[in-house]
Amino acid sequence: MTQQIELSGVNKYYGAYHALRDINLAIPKGAFVALVGPSGCGKSTLLRSLAGLETISSGDLVIAGERMNDMPPRKRDLAMVFQSYALYPHMTVEQNLTYSLRIKGVKKAEAKKAAEEVAAITGLSDLLHRYPRELSGGQRQRVAMSRAIIRHPKAFLFDEPLSNLDAALRVHMRKEIRALHDRLGATSVYVTHDQVEAMTMADHVVIMRAGVIEQQGRPLDLYDRPANRFVAGFIGSPAMNFIPARVAEDGRSVLLDLPGSQVLAIDFSLPPGHAVLVGIRPEHLKIASAGQSGFDVSIAAVESTGATTFVTTATTPEITFLLNERSSLEAGEKVRLTFEGKNIHVFDAESEQRLGT
Amino acid sequence: MSETARNRLMLAIALIMAAIYLFPLYWMYVTSLKSGSEMFANPPSFWPSSAQWQTFAFVWESRNMGRYLWNSTVIAFGSVALIALLGTGCAYVLARYRNVWVDIGLFLILMLQVLPASLMITPIFVGFTQVGLLDYPRFAVILAIAAKSMPFFVVLVRATFMAVPMELEEAALVDGNSRVGAFYKIVLPLARNGILVSAILIFMQAFGEFVYSKSMIQDVSLQPASVGLNSFMGPNTSEWNNIMAYATMYVTPILAIFVLLQRRIVSGLTSGALK
Amino acid sequence: MRRILSSVRDGRGFDIVLVGVPFAFLFALAGLPLIYNILMSFQEVDMFSLGSVIRPFVGVDNYVALFRQPETWPILTNTLIFVVGSIAGQFVIGFGLALFFWTNFPGASWLRGLFLVSWVMPGLVVGAIWNWILSGDFGVLNFFLRESGLITANIFWRSDPSFSLWAVVIANIWLGTSFNMILLSVGLSAIPGDLYEAADMDGANAWQRFWTITLPMMRSTIGAIIALGLIFTLQQFDLFAAITDGGPNNSSNVAQYWAWDLSFRQYDFGRGATISVIMTVFVMFAAAVYVRSTRHEVRG
Repeated sequence: MTQQIELSGVNKYYGAYHALRDINLAIPKGAFVALVGPSGCGKSTLLRSLAGLETISSGDLVIAGERMNDMPPRKRDLAMVFQSYALYPHMTVEQNLTYSLRIKGVKKAEAKKAAEEVAAITGLSDLLHRYPRELSGGQRQRVAMSRAIIRHPKAFLFDEPLSNLDAALRVHMRKEIRALHDRLGATSVYVTHDQVEAMTMADHVVIMRAGVIEQQGRPLDLYDRPANRFVAGFIGSPAMNFIPARVAEDGRSVLLDLPGSQVLAIDFSLPPGHAVLVGIRPEHLKIASAGQSGFDVSIAAVESTGATTFVTTATTPEITFLLNERSSLEAGEKVRLTFEGKNIHVFDAESEQRLGT
Repeated sequence: MSETARNRLMLAIALIMAAIYLFPLYWMYVTSLKSGSEMFANPPSFWPSSAQWQTFAFVWESRNMGRYLWNSTVIAFGSVALIALLGTGCAYVLARYRNVWVDIGLFLILMLQVLPASLMITPIFVGFTQVGLLDYPRFAVILAIAAKSMPFFVVLVRATFMAVPMELEEAALVDGNSRVGAFYKIVLPLARNGILVSAILIFMQAFGEFVYSKSMIQDVSLQPASVGLNSFMGPNTSEWNNIMAYATMYVTPILAIFVLLQRRIVSGLTSGALK
Repeated sequence: MRRILSSVRDGRGFDIVLVGVPFAFLFALAGLPLIYNILMSFQEVDMFSLGSVIRPFVGVDNYVALFRQPETWPILTNTLIFVVGSIAGQFVIGFGLALFFWTNFPGASWLRGLFLVSWVMPGLVVGAIWNWILSGDFGVLNFFLRESGLITANIFWRSDPSFSLWAVVIANIWLGTSFNMILLSVGLSAIPGDLYEAADMDGANAWQRFWTITLPMMRSTIGAIIALGLIFTLQQFDLFAAITDGGPNNSSNVAQYWAWDLSFRQYDFGRGATISVIMTVFVMFAAAVYVRSTRHEVRG
């Protein structure tokens, strides 16, 4: 598969501040890639470097086979959807849509036709002569999208485009953006801090922290096999539980650092006495049926949303688990929790990297 | 007391205060319409018994006001054009970035803004004499005013540019514009109102400028209205109705512009000076 | 060459051109004169040596001679009185008006803006109007004062040495009050309303709210306005030219008017430059205070 965007060894400094550290990323043509991470992780800087709004300090940036390091934004042929939409307030919707075409010197009639075509796709046909201030938030969002679509660019760049919408509209636009991407056969890079957006929309998720790519891959691979504790805790909601543990004498099992010191078998060997963290997702914990083995905890709080019940325990560290039915559990009660061995993740306590397979 | 009654009372008090404060202006207009004898009546009359409209025509002719006002206009337009040309870009750059250099630049600008014209005129006059600029006295005054007022303009216009979101310019760059294109097609149109208001303020200042014109323009035919008014007011003058008629014709256009654009001028002024 | 051109179109070069040209202009027409001023204050400059840069160097003679002149100290004292009197008057009246208009009734903001006409008028016109209002025998101010019983005999504002400076101060207060009021109004409206609601709940009365909320919250605004007042007052020239011409006998003369008078009436440019240098230092100091007060704006 041909690579549409390729970054190799990219670094970016602001003075002494190292904003991007040795970024390597290949984005195939037609892929939908999400850059996700907490605020300040460098995901927006990376996107803006692709756009040419920031210049990278070192490394190579190749778009469609051409090295673009020092190209000004206008020569990169990328379209960007901004978080604030950045609609030109002094232009109508139609003028906003055709702005890039007019700069390129496309004929007026042709530009108008293109605007009408795109507006038909995005449902803006009746709004072409309005000004941005006369539109609702969702409509502005569509204009911003349409302005990108009309150009048939080499790639679409999205900078948290849904963060100004309310929750219901956000869920809806998520699907719509993905559908548009598939329909246009476009290449998209999508920045978000919302891991649900990243997981549901993208083919390929890139998780960043402090200017470093922590892990990248298909969404479910990241969920199933997080490379380190940060990724494990970032993907999935509610977040994964981490329980300190120590490798037993035989090197093939670990002792959880919880009352009752439950022993867990692991399917790889580690030096005895080694300190590790055992990660287990809330959705993988179950209340044990009578006689089943597990560990005993007392309940600290029970919160129900109706469909799902979130339970937190009074242990240190706190453990969260989910029940998918109504529950009569109450704070103070004791229960036994159990899980399947294949669902645990083991991380080195020191380096926080994944151990085993 | 009900809300409306309170509002009416406050408005009444405010009107009285405005009337007191603006009395000098009223007095200018009233005096300009009085006859020579009524002007010195005791007690003074607060409404002219018979308005002497012909005073205006007389003063306009005898003081050659057309020429004076033309010179004021030339000087004011020249200064505004030069200031807007140089100052707008400067304000834009100082608004767009946040770093040490911008801080230093702003500091220098603010420092230059405060230098009194009456102190700067000595070196400027001597310097201009030496390079021969005084042979073009109105141009020399325009240059001096531009240097004096540009910092103020930059401070005001910078506040306007700060209100234009950066993303708009970035969107224009991604849409295929060069920096130059994005500046002219997106940023400037959006900042147009603020720039216009600031330019009007500068125009008003330059229209009434006195120190530089008085010191550098010796040729009466090139002097602006402020210098003309100054030479009209001899030490022992008694032509106050004529002088007030002169003043009326001089300031009424400025006051008209101000009252029309009051809201915008006030908000433009306050956004730059403080806040 | 092509690289430079493309940088001007697309990169840093654009910013550098935009900011470089005006700064070069300002340096040539404000920076150089400032330096030249200092140079001249150490030289003997008169009508005949006006055209040359190399002139007799007199060291600090200008400064020494200046302070030996009998009128120097009275004029500096006048400057101080003019500055303090003007600022105090402008600020107190301006604050009073700002507080009044802050009560926000319909039409308040429009009326408040109207006050600003005193500030946009040419200084010389303001001076002419006040010259007439303050005139001794026929001045309308004397009429009002007589009618209200404050004075029995006319005050000769312009020609009586004990009043001439105050004549200019009154005109300057009128001119600057509106500007003070507008800026103070901005500061007042920037105070969040819930602070007053909270203070109200805590049992503070209007007077206590003013002293414990309004004044402390206005501190940086007030600092900036006082500094701006100092700057504007030291720039005031037109009113002196229009009302008293510094007289009689220097009784209403101030440093910035005197500097001009020395250069352009007595043709002693060296001494005019000397006064200018001294006053420039003062103004720069005021400017530094102003910049400090509005630092949050400068740094954003």
